[in-house]
Amino acid sequence: MSDYFLTQVLNYGAPLFALTLFLGAVGLPVGASLMVIAVGAFSQQGYFDWVMMAAVGLLGALLGDSLSFGMGHYGKDWVRAHLSSSPAWSNALAQFNNRAWAAVFFTRFLITALAIPTNLIAGGSGYPFRRFMLYDLLGEATWILLYGGLGYLFGSQWEVVNEFMSNFGGLLLGVVVLIFGVRQAVVRQTKK
Amino acid sequence: MQGNSKSRILFIALSVFGLILILFFGMRVLRAFKKFDRQHPPPFAGELQTDVEAIEEWMTIPFISHNYGVPPDVLFDALGIEPKDKDNFKKSLEQLNEEYFPDADGYVLTTVKATILAHQPPPTPILPQNTP
Repeated sequence: MSDYFLTQVLNYGAPLFALTLFLGAVGLPVGASLMVIAVGAFSQQGYFDWVMMAAVGLLGALLGDSLSFGMGHYGKDWVRAHLSSSPAWSNALAQFNNRAWAAVFFTRFLITALAIPTNLIAGGSGYPFRRFMLYDLLGEATWILLYGGLGYLFGSQWEVVNEFMSNFGGLLLGVVVLIFGVRQAVVRQTKK
Repeated sequence: MQGNSKSRILFIALSVFGLILILFFGMRVLRAFKKFDRQHPPPFAGELQTDVEAIEEWMTIPFISHNYGVPPDVLFDALGIEPKDKDNFKKSLEQLNEEYFPDADGYVLTTVKATILAHQPPPTPILPQNTP
Protein backbone atom coordinates (compact mmCIF):
# COMPACT_ATOMS: atom_id res chain seq x y z
CA MET A 1 0.00 0.00 0.00
CA SER A 2 2.83 2.39 0.88
CA ASP A 3 4.47 1.72 -2.50
CA TYR A 4 1.25 2.69 -4.27
CA PHE A 5 1.00 5.94 -2.30
CA LEU A 6 4.70 6.72 -2.91
CA THR A 7 4.15 6.46 -6.68
CA GLN A 8 1.05 8.64 -6.49
CA VAL A 9 2.84 11.26 -4.37
CA LEU A 10 5.52 11.44 -7.08
CA ASN A 11 2.77 11.98 -9.66
CA TYR A 12 0.42 14.34 -7.85
CA GLY A 13 2.66 16.00 -5.24
CA ALA A 14 1.23 18.11 -2.41
CA PRO A 15 -2.51 17.24 -2.70
CA LEU A 16 -1.79 13.52 -2.56
CA PHE A 17 0.65 14.02 0.32
CA ALA A 18 -2.03 15.90 2.27
CA LEU A 19 -4.58 13.18 1.51
CA THR A 20 -2.18 10.47 2.71
CA LEU A 21 -1.56 12.28 6.01
CA PHE A 22 -5.31 12.86 6.37
CA LEU A 23 -6.04 9.14 5.88
CA GLY A 24 -3.23 8.23 8.28
CA ALA A 25 -4.69 10.57 10.92
CA VAL A 26 -8.08 8.84 10.76
CA GLY A 27 -6.41 5.49 11.27
CA LEU A 28 -5.87 3.98 7.82
CA PRO A 29 -2.58 2.10 7.42
CA VAL A 30 -1.13 4.22 4.60
CA GLY A 31 2.38 4.57 6.05
CA ALA A 32 2.08 8.29 6.88
CA SER A 33 5.40 8.52 8.75
CA LEU A 34 7.19 6.77 5.90
CA MET A 35 5.63 9.27 3.52
CA VAL A 36 6.83 12.28 5.57
CA ILE A 37 10.40 10.91 5.63
CA ALA A 38 10.25 10.09 1.89
CA VAL A 39 8.93 13.55 0.98
CA GLY A 40 11.76 15.09 3.02
CA ALA A 41 14.24 13.02 0.98
CA PHE A 42 12.56 13.89 -2.35
CA SER A 43 12.71 17.58 -1.40
CA GLN A 44 16.43 17.23 -0.74
CA GLN A 45 16.75 15.79 -4.24
CA GLY A 46 14.98 18.90 -5.58
CA TYR A 47 11.82 17.07 -6.62
CA PHE A 48 9.47 18.95 -4.26
CA ASP A 49 9.38 22.33 -2.52
CA TRP A 50 9.67 21.31 1.14
CA VAL A 51 7.92 24.43 2.54
CA MET A 52 4.84 23.82 0.40
CA MET A 53 4.83 20.09 1.17
CA ALA A 54 5.21 20.68 4.92
CA ALA A 55 2.39 23.25 4.99
CA VAL A 56 -0.06 21.18 2.95
CA GLY A 57 0.87 17.95 4.79
CA LEU A 58 0.30 19.66 8.14
CA LEU A 59 -3.13 20.77 6.99
CA GLY A 60 -4.04 17.21 5.95
CA ALA A 61 -2.89 15.78 9.28
CA LEU A 62 -4.79 18.41 11.29
CA LEU A 63 -7.99 17.76 9.34
CA GLY A 64 -7.66 14.01 9.92
CA ASP A 65 -7.05 14.52 13.65
CA SER A 66 -10.09 16.81 13.86
CA LEU A 67 -12.19 14.11 12.24
CA SER A 68 -11.04 11.38 14.63
CA PHE A 69 -11.55 13.81 17.56
CA GLY A 70 -15.07 14.38 16.18
CA MET A 71 -15.69 10.63 15.98
CA GLY A 72 -14.81 10.37 19.67
CA HIS A 73 -16.97 13.40 20.49
CA TYR A 74 -20.08 12.23 18.65
CA GLY A 75 -19.65 8.63 19.73
CA LYS A 76 -19.30 9.44 23.42
CA ASP A 77 -22.92 8.54 24.26
CA TRP A 78 -22.42 5.09 22.80
CA VAL A 79 -19.11 4.74 24.66
CA ARG A 80 -20.72 5.84 27.94
CA ALA A 81 -23.52 3.34 27.50
CA HIS A 82 -21.17 0.47 26.77
CA LEU A 83 -17.93 1.22 28.60
CA SER A 84 -18.72 3.49 31.55
CA SER A 85 -18.69 0.49 33.93
CA SER A 86 -15.36 -0.80 32.59
CA PRO A 87 -12.43 -0.07 34.95
CA ALA A 88 -10.00 -0.11 32.01
CA TRP A 89 -11.93 2.69 30.28
CA SER A 90 -12.20 4.74 33.50
CA ASN A 91 -8.48 4.23 34.04
CA ALA A 92 -7.65 5.34 30.47
CA LEU A 93 -9.80 8.46 30.94
CA ALA A 94 -8.19 9.28 34.29
CA GLN A 95 -4.69 8.83 32.80
CA PHE A 96 -5.60 11.03 29.84
CA ASN A 97 -7.08 13.80 32.02
CA ASN A 98 -3.94 13.83 34.17
CA ARG A 99 -1.62 14.81 31.32
CA ALA A 100 -3.84 15.48 28.33
CA TRP A 101 -1.47 17.97 26.69
CA ALA A 102 1.47 15.55 26.90
CA ALA A 103 -0.66 12.69 25.56
CA VAL A 104 -1.78 14.73 22.54
CA PHE A 105 1.63 16.28 21.87
CA PHE A 106 3.86 13.21 22.23
CA THR A 107 1.58 10.74 20.45
CA ARG A 108 1.89 12.86 17.28
CA PHE A 109 5.56 12.02 16.75
CA LEU A 110 6.99 9.78 19.46
CA ILE A 111 4.44 7.05 20.20
CA THR A 112 2.41 7.37 17.02
CA ALA A 113 0.68 3.99 17.57
CA LEU A 114 -1.34 5.70 20.33
CA ALA A 115 -2.35 8.77 18.29
CA ILE A 116 -5.78 7.52 17.15
CA PRO A 117 -6.85 6.16 20.59
CA THR A 118 -5.72 9.50 22.08
CA ASN A 119 -7.86 11.46 19.58
CA LEU A 120 -10.88 9.27 20.32
CA ILE A 121 -10.43 9.55 24.08
CA ALA A 122 -9.91 13.33 23.81
CA GLY A 123 -13.11 13.70 21.79
CA GLY A 124 -15.05 11.31 24.01
CA SER A 125 -13.92 12.83 27.30
CA GLY A 126 -15.17 16.32 26.50
CA TYR A 127 -11.64 17.76 26.24
CA PRO A 128 -11.89 21.30 24.75
CA PHE A 129 -11.41 21.16 20.97
CA ARG A 130 -9.37 24.39 20.79
CA ARG A 131 -6.89 23.16 23.36
CA PHE A 132 -6.69 19.81 21.57
CA MET A 133 -5.96 21.61 18.31
CA LEU A 134 -3.21 23.70 19.89
CA TYR A 135 -1.25 20.66 21.16
CA ASP A 136 -2.15 18.75 18.00
CA LEU A 137 -0.71 21.55 15.85
CA LEU A 138 2.51 21.64 17.90
CA GLY A 139 2.85 17.85 17.82
CA GLU A 140 2.10 17.43 14.11
CA ALA A 141 4.44 20.31 13.20
CA THR A 142 7.18 18.61 15.25
CA TRP A 143 6.42 15.30 13.50
CA ILE A 144 6.64 16.79 10.02
CA LEU A 145 9.75 18.86 10.76
CA LEU A 146 11.53 16.06 12.63
CA TYR A 147 10.72 13.14 10.31
CA GLY A 148 10.81 15.25 7.13
CA GLY A 149 14.05 16.86 8.34
CA LEU A 150 15.64 13.44 8.87
CA GLY A 151 14.53 12.41 5.37
CA TYR A 152 16.02 15.64 4.01
CA LEU A 153 19.26 15.12 5.92
CA PHE A 154 19.75 11.48 4.96
CA GLY A 155 18.45 11.80 1.38
CA SER A 156 18.55 8.48 -0.45
CA GLN A 157 18.97 6.61 2.87
CA TRP A 158 15.43 7.59 3.86
CA GLU A 159 14.22 3.98 4.00
CA VAL A 160 16.77 3.16 6.70
CA VAL A 161 15.65 6.30 8.56
CA ASN A 162 12.06 5.04 8.36
CA GLU A 163 13.06 1.61 9.64
CA PHE A 164 14.92 3.22 12.53
CA MET A 165 12.13 5.66 13.46
CA SER A 166 9.27 3.16 13.28
CA ASN A 167 11.14 0.68 15.48
CA PHE A 168 12.19 3.47 17.85
CA GLY A 169 8.49 4.34 18.22
CA GLY A 170 7.78 0.69 19.08
CA LEU A 171 10.60 0.74 21.62
CA LEU A 172 9.15 3.83 23.32
CA LEU A 173 5.70 2.24 23.31
CA GLY A 174 7.22 -0.74 25.15
CA VAL A 175 8.80 1.62 27.72
CA VAL A 176 5.45 3.38 28.28
CA VAL A 177 3.57 0.06 28.64
CA LEU A 178 6.21 -1.27 31.06
CA ILE A 179 6.20 1.85 33.25
CA PHE A 180 2.39 1.97 33.29
CA GLY A 181 2.10 -1.76 34.11
CA VAL A 182 4.71 -1.67 36.90
CA ARG A 183 3.23 1.50 38.43
CA GLN A 184 -0.30 0.12 38.47
CA ALA A 185 0.85 -3.25 39.85
CA VAL A 186 2.76 -1.49 42.65
CA VAL A 187 -0.25 0.76 43.44
CA ARG A 188 -2.48 -2.30 43.74
CA GLN A 189 0.09 -4.08 45.89
CA THR A 190 0.27 -1.10 48.28
CA LYS A 191 -3.53 -0.84 48.50
CA LYS A 192 -3.65 -4.49 49.50
CA MET B 1 -10.11 -8.22 47.19
CA GLN B 2 -10.29 -10.80 44.42
CA GLY B 3 -10.84 -8.03 41.84
CA ASN B 4 -7.75 -6.24 43.11
CA SER B 5 -5.67 -9.40 42.75
CA LYS B 6 -7.04 -9.99 39.24
CA SER B 7 -6.14 -6.50 38.09
CA ARG B 8 -2.68 -6.90 39.65
CA ILE B 9 -2.11 -9.98 37.52
CA LEU B 10 -3.35 -8.02 34.51
CA PHE B 11 -0.86 -5.21 35.15
CA ILE B 12 2.00 -7.66 35.69
CA ALA B 13 1.11 -9.27 32.32
CA LEU B 14 1.07 -5.78 30.81
CA SER B 15 4.57 -5.11 32.21
CA VAL B 16 5.84 -8.38 30.71
CA PHE B 17 4.28 -7.39 27.38
CA GLY B 18 6.05 -4.00 27.64
CA LEU B 19 9.34 -5.81 28.26
CA ILE B 20 8.79 -8.02 25.20
CA LEU B 21 8.10 -4.92 23.09
CA ILE B 22 11.30 -3.29 24.37
CA LEU B 23 13.39 -6.35 23.50
CA PHE B 24 11.77 -6.86 20.10
CA PHE B 25 11.95 -3.24 18.93
CA GLY B 26 15.28 -2.63 20.68
CA MET B 27 16.91 -5.33 18.52
CA ARG B 28 15.35 -3.86 15.39
CA VAL B 29 16.49 -0.32 16.30
CA LEU B 30 20.06 -1.61 16.69
CA ARG B 31 19.87 -3.45 13.36
CA ALA B 32 18.57 -0.32 11.59
CA PHE B 33 21.27 1.78 13.24
CA LYS B 34 24.00 -0.56 11.95
CA LYS B 35 22.61 -0.24 8.42
CA PHE B 36 23.53 3.46 8.35
CA ASP B 37 27.21 2.46 8.33
CA ARG B 38 26.79 0.05 5.44
CA GLN B 39 25.00 2.52 3.14
CA HIS B 40 26.68 4.85 0.67
CA PRO B 41 26.62 8.46 1.85
CA PRO B 42 23.69 10.33 0.26
CA PRO B 43 24.47 12.91 -2.46
CA PHE B 44 24.40 16.55 -1.41
CA ALA B 45 21.37 18.64 -2.37
CA GLY B 46 21.54 19.46 -6.09
CA GLU B 47 24.01 16.65 -6.84
CA LEU B 48 22.96 13.78 -9.08
CA GLN B 49 22.35 10.35 -7.63
CA THR B 50 24.82 7.74 -8.91
CA ASP B 51 23.99 4.55 -7.00
CA VAL B 52 21.62 2.60 -9.30
CA GLU B 53 20.88 0.11 -6.52
CA ALA B 54 18.73 2.85 -4.96
CA ILE B 55 16.24 2.53 -7.86
CA GLU B 56 13.05 0.74 -6.80
CA GLU B 57 9.99 -0.59 -8.56
CA TRP B 58 7.55 2.01 -7.16
CA MET B 59 9.53 4.86 -8.78
CA THR B 60 8.37 6.53 -11.99
CA ILE B 61 10.54 7.25 -15.04
CA PRO B 62 10.41 11.09 -14.60
CA PHE B 63 11.50 10.74 -10.95
CA ILE B 64 14.42 8.46 -11.82
CA SER B 65 15.30 10.74 -14.72
CA HIS B 66 15.35 13.78 -12.39
CA ASN B 67 17.55 12.07 -9.78
CA TYR B 68 20.08 10.50 -12.16
CA GLY B 69 20.20 13.19 -14.84
CA VAL B 70 19.26 10.84 -17.68
CA PRO B 71 16.45 12.16 -19.97
CA PRO B 72 13.16 10.19 -19.75
CA ASP B 73 13.15 9.62 -23.52
CA VAL B 74 16.43 7.70 -23.26
CA LEU B 75 14.91 5.40 -20.64
CA PHE B 76 11.67 4.87 -22.60
CA ASP B 77 13.69 4.19 -25.78
CA ALA B 78 15.74 1.55 -23.97
CA LEU B 79 12.51 -0.15 -22.88
CA GLY B 80 10.94 0.21 -26.32
CA ILE B 81 7.91 1.92 -24.80
CA GLU B 82 6.16 4.99 -26.19
CA PRO B 83 6.28 7.63 -23.41
CA LYS B 84 3.03 9.39 -24.21
CA ASP B 85 1.14 6.17 -24.76
CA LYS B 86 -1.39 5.43 -22.00
CA ASP B 87 0.11 7.98 -19.65
CA ASN B 88 3.29 5.99 -19.10
CA PHE B 89 4.96 8.93 -17.35
CA LYS B 90 2.74 8.31 -14.32
CA LYS B 91 3.28 4.57 -14.06
CA SER B 92 5.71 2.93 -11.69
CA LEU B 93 8.40 0.57 -13.05
CA GLU B 94 6.36 -2.30 -11.65
CA GLN B 95 3.22 -1.19 -13.52
CA LEU B 96 5.18 -0.79 -16.76
CA ASN B 97 6.62 -4.28 -16.31
CA GLU B 98 3.19 -5.82 -15.68
CA GLU B 99 1.71 -4.07 -18.71
CA TYR B 100 4.45 -4.45 -21.32
CA PHE B 101 6.59 -7.39 -20.13
CA PRO B 102 4.28 -9.63 -18.09
CA ASP B 103 6.42 -12.70 -18.76
CA ALA B 104 9.76 -11.10 -17.83
CA ASP B 105 9.75 -10.38 -14.10
CA GLY B 106 12.01 -7.44 -13.15
CA TYR B 107 12.92 -6.64 -16.78
CA VAL B 108 12.03 -2.93 -16.56
CA LEU B 109 14.01 -2.40 -13.35
CA THR B 110 17.09 -4.15 -14.73
CA THR B 111 16.93 -2.31 -18.06
CA VAL B 112 16.50 1.09 -16.40
CA LYS B 113 19.49 0.43 -14.12
CA ALA B 114 21.66 -0.68 -17.05
CA THR B 115 20.61 2.32 -19.18
CA ILE B 116 21.42 4.75 -16.40
CA LEU B 117 24.84 3.18 -15.86
CA ALA B 118 25.53 3.50 -19.61
CA HIS B 119 24.43 7.15 -19.78
CA GLN B 120 25.88 8.56 -16.58
CA PRO B 121 28.59 11.19 -16.99
CA PRO B 122 32.03 9.75 -16.10
CA PRO B 123 33.26 10.70 -12.62
CA THR B 124 35.64 13.67 -12.52
CA PRO B 125 39.17 12.45 -11.59
CA ILE B 126 40.61 14.01 -8.43
CA LEU B 127 44.16 15.20 -9.07
CA PRO B 128 46.74 15.21 -6.27
CA GLN B 129 47.32 18.65 -4.71
CA ASN B 130 51.09 18.99 -5.38
CA THR B 131 51.31 17.74 -8.94
CA PRO B 132 54.48 19.15 -10.56
